[in-house]
Amino acid sequence: MDIQFKGEHLLPGQIGQFFIVLSFGAALLSFISYYFATTDDVGKQNSLWQKLGRAGFLVNLASIIGIGVCLFTLIYKHYFEYHYAWAYTSRSLSIYYILSAFWNGQEGGFLLWLFWQAVLGTFLIFRSKSWERPVMTVVAMSQVVLAAMVLGVEVFGQRIGSSPFLLLRQSMEAPIFSNPNYLEFIKDGQGMVPSLQNYWMIIHPPTLFLGFASMVVPFAYAVAGLWQKKYKEWVAPAIPYALFACMILGTGVVMGSFWAYESLNFGGFWAWDPVENASIFPWIVLVAGLHVLIVFKNTGHSYFTATFLVLLSNVLTWYSSFLNRSGILGDTSVHSFTDLGMFWQLVISIFIFLGITIWLLVSRWKELPITKKDEDTYSREFWMFVGAVFMGLSCFHLLVVTSVPVWNAIFHTKMAPPSDIIKHYNVIQSSFVFVIVLVTGFSQFLKYKKTDVTKFFVITGSYLLIAAALTALIAYTSGVYKLNFVFVLAMWGSVYSVLVNGKVLADAFKGKFKLAGSAVAHIGFGLLMIGALISAGTSKVISINNTGEAYNAEFAKEENPRENVTVYRNQPTKLGDYTVTYIGDSISSPNHWFKINYKKIDANGKITEEFTLKPKVQVSKGTMSASPDTRHYLFSDIYTHITLTNAITPTEAGTESAEAAHDADNDDKNYDAPVSHEVKTGDTIRYRDGYIVLTGLNKEAKVQNIPLSDSDVAIGAHLEIVSNSNKYSATPVYMIKNGNVFDFARKVDDAGLKLRFSKVIPEHKTVEIVVYQQPESKKKFVVMKAIQFPFINFFWAGTIIMVIGFFMSILRRKRELKTV
Amino acid sequence: MKKSSIFGLVVIAIAIAVIISVYSNTSTYGSFGDATKTSSELHIVGHLNKSKELFYDATKDANYFSFYAKDNNGEERKVILKGPKPEDFERSEQLVLTGKMVGSEFHASSILMKCPSKYTQDKLETKEVKAKSASI
Repeated sequence: MDIQFKGEHLLPGQIGQFFIVLSFGAALLSFISYYFATTDDVGKQNSLWQKLGRAGFLVNLASIIGIGVCLFTLIYKHYFEYHYAWAYTSRSLSIYYILSAFWNGQEGGFLLWLFWQAVLGTFLIFRSKSWERPVMTVVAMSQVVLAAMVLGVEVFGQRIGSSPFLLLRQSMEAPIFSNPNYLEFIKDGQGMVPSLQNYWMIIHPPTLFLGFASMVVPFAYAVAGLWQKKYKEWVAPAIPYALFACMILGTGVVMGSFWAYESLNFGGFWAWDPVENASIFPWIVLVAGLHVLIVFKNTGHSYFTATFLVLLSNVLTWYSSFLNRSGILGDTSVHSFTDLGMFWQLVISIFIFLGITIWLLVSRWKELPITKKDEDTYSREFWMFVGAVFMGLSCFHLLVVTSVPVWNAIFHTKMAPPSDIIKHYNVIQSSFVFVIVLVTGFSQFLKYKKTDVTKFFVITGSYLLIAAALTALIAYTSGVYKLNFVFVLAMWGSVYSVLVNGKVLADAFKGKFKLAGSAVAHIGFGLLMIGALISAGTSKVISINNTGEAYNAEFAKEENPRENVTVYRNQPTKLGDYTVTYIGDSISSPNHWFKINYKKIDANGKITEEFTLKPKVQVSKGTMSASPDTRHYLFSDIYTHITLTNAITPTEAGTESAEAAHDADNDDKNYDAPVSHEVKTGDTIRYRDGYIVLTGLNKEAKVQNIPLSDSDVAIGAHLEIVSNSNKYSATPVYMIKNGNVFDFARKVDDAGLKLRFSKVIPEHKTVEIVVYQQPESKKKFVVMKAIQFPFINFFWAGTIIMVIGFFMSILRRKRELKTV
Repeated sequence: MKKSSIFGLVVIAIAIAVIISVYSNTSTYGSFGDATKTSSELHIVGHLNKSKELFYDATKDANYFSFYAKDNNGEERKVILKGPKPEDFERSEQLVLTGKMVGSEFHASSILMKCPSKYTQDKLETKEVKAKSASI
C-alpha cells in the first residue's frame, strides 16, 4: 500500500521533471530536424525541417529556463522534501548563496552547461546564416547528450542521468520515510559547505560552464566543414568563436585559482590538482588549435593539425567532465566530486564526440586540403605551428599524469602519481613554457611566408640579450635563480615575449592595429608566467617556528622547517620581519574571525607598518573549516591561515570560550596553583607575563544585586595589570555581609588571569591578593601559517591583459568576416 | 628528408621522453612492508586505528601529529605527519598516506583522507593534507 505523505510539495518537482523530459525531447527533435534539413533539404530556401529544428531548439531553451525556475522555487522556499534542496541549502543560508546552491550539486553543473549551450545555440540560429543547419545539428546533438545527464529516467532498468528533482525519500532509504509525517522531522537542510559560501562561487561556476559550453561551437564548425566538404570555408567563421571560448574558459579557470588563493587553504593559487588540470586541457588544446587555424587561414598549410586540435578540444571537454564526475579520481584529488552512478554514461558521451572526430577525419582523409609543399623555416606560420605543437605536448604530459587512475582502471595496474607532484609538473611544464613563450616572441619578427634572414637574427639576438639581462636582474632580486634552472629559462622566455610583443604593440599604435590583439594576449601570457614563476617559486613561509622551545626530541633530529606557529592571545610573536599578535576575535555565527595584528618595527623601535588580518574559521554541523585572509600589496601579498585553534570548539559554536560553560566552582582547575601576595597600596606584584600594581582601595565598592546594610563592608582593590605591554585593570571585591566573609574574583581573560581579594590584614595595613594564572595550555591560541607571495599581482594582471587581448582579437576577426 | 618529417620525429621523441619521465616518476601503492624495503616515497592505502592514541599538542609542537594506521594487509605502524592535525581526522574512513619509513615509523609528507561527508551521509568526500606548503 502506498503511504500518503503529508506536507510534500510535489507540484514544482513534477513540473520541473516535465521540463527536463521536454528539454531532452525538444533537443532530440531539433537534432533530427536539423540533420534532415542538412541532408535532405539541401538548397531549399523554406525548409520545413529547418523550421522544426529551430522550433525544437527554442522549446529546448524555454524548458531549460523552466527547469531553472522550478529548481529555484524548491531552493528558495526550502522544500526539504527534495534531495537537492536538503543536501545543499539550509534556512539560514543568505540569499546570495541561494543562487550558488543552484550549481552546488553535479546536476546543477550540468544544468548550467545546458543553459549556456542553449543560449549559444540560439545565438547561432540567428547569426550563422548558411552554416546554421550543419552547425546546429552538432550543437543540438551535444544538447541531447547533455540533457540525458539530468534526465533521471529509467529505461530498461537502467537509470539515465540524475535529476535534481529527486525526492529525499527516493534518494535514500531510512526508516523515517515510512512515517507519513516524516517532513515534520526534517526541519532544516544540510546547508552549504562553508568554503562554497564565497562570492567567487557565485560567478566562477557560471563563467567556467560558459567556457565549457562554448567549446562546442568551433567543434560544430569543424564537423560541419568536414561533413559538408566545405573544408576551407569553416575556418574563418570559427575563429571568433574559438577566441571567445578560450577567453571565457581561461577567465573561468583563473577565477577558480583566485578563489583557491583567497578563500581555500591550498596555500597558493594553483596546486596541479587533477580537477584543475582537467579544466585546462581543453583550453590549452583550443589555444593551440586557434593558432594553427590562423596559420591555415593565412597560408593554406597545416589543415589537418588545425582541424584535429579543434575537434580534440571538445572531446577533452568531455574527458575532463568524466574525470571530475565519475569518481575515478577518488584517490588522487582533493575535490570531493563523487560518482552519481553515471560512469558509463560519461564514458559513452566521450566516445560519441571522439567517434565523430575519428570517423570524419578518416572518411574524408583523401579529400582533406593537405599541402605537400614544405613551409619555409623562416616564416611566421611555421613557428606558430611549432609553438602550437608544443602546447599540444604540454597538454599531453598533463593528460598522461592526471589520467594515472584511468590507466590503472584500464590496465589493472597499481601506479600512483609522482609523490612530489607539484615539482614534477612545475619542472616539465616550465620546459614547455620556455619553448612556447620563446616562439610567441621571435615569431613576431617573422613575416608570413618569407623573411629576411640576417635582419631577423640580428633583431632576435639583440632582444634576447636585453631579456637575458632583465631576467638576470629579476631572478637575482626575487631569488628565482636559486631554483631549478628550468624556471630561469622559462622566466627568460617570458620576459623576452613581453618585450617583443610590447614592441609589436607599440608599432600597432602607429598604424598596424591589426596585430594589437595578439600582442596584448601574448604580453598578458608572458606577465602571467612571470608572476606565477616568482610567486610560486619564491613564496616564503614566514611563520617558521624557530623559537626552539617547542621542539620535541623526535623532531629535533630532523631540521625540517616548521611552518605552523602557535600564537597565544595578546602575546606578540616574531615572524620574519613582522611581530604578530593575536589580539582578539569577532564572532557572527557561523563565522569566527581571528584578529591577527602585524607590526613591522624598525631598529629604533618605531612601528613602520601595521595592519590587522582577519582569517576566518567557520563552524558548521560540528566541524570547523578555515579560510585565510590576505594583505595585498603592489609587489607582494601576506597570506595568513589558521590551521588550528583552541578558542572555539566545533560543538560550542558561538559561545565565547570553554570556560564560560564551566561553573565557578570548577573554574580554578583552569589555572595554575594560586599564589597569594600581601601588598599595600602602591606595591607591585610580579608574575610570569608581567606585573600588577595595587593603585588603591575603594571602601564603597558595590556588587551587583547584593544590597548592603550599614553593618556590611565591601572593599574593592583597584589593580592595574601590565601583561606583554598591554594594560588592563580589574577590581576584585572583598565583602563582609551579615558577619560572613565573601570575595568576588575578577577575571582578565585577555591576560589569562583571575584575581581574588581574599583578606584584609589590619595589623600590617595590607591586603592579600591571590593571583591565578592560566597555564600556557589553557590560554587561547591559534596555530597559524603565514606565507609571503611576491609579485603575485603580475599573475592576476597578466590574466586580465590576456583576456583583453583575446577580446581585441575577436573584434578584429569579426571585422575581417564582414569585409570578406 | 623533409623538414616536416624531422619535426615529426622530434615531436615523437619528446612524447616518448614525457611518457618515460612520467613512468619513472610515478610511485606505487604499497604496504608498510614495502615501505621498509625502499628508501623512496610511496603511497599506502590504509585506515586509522581509532583505538590507539592520536597525539597532537599545539602548545608543545604545532607541527607534530602522530597516530597509528593499518595498511590493507592489516600491518600497523606509527605514522607521523609534520604538520597540524587535520580537521575531522578522527572521522576518516580511509587514508592514503604518502611518505617513507624512518626507522619503525612512517613519516608522511601528505595524507589524503576520505571522510563520511559532513553534509550528505550517503556520499564520501576526500581531503588532502600536506606536511609542507606547495612551492616550486
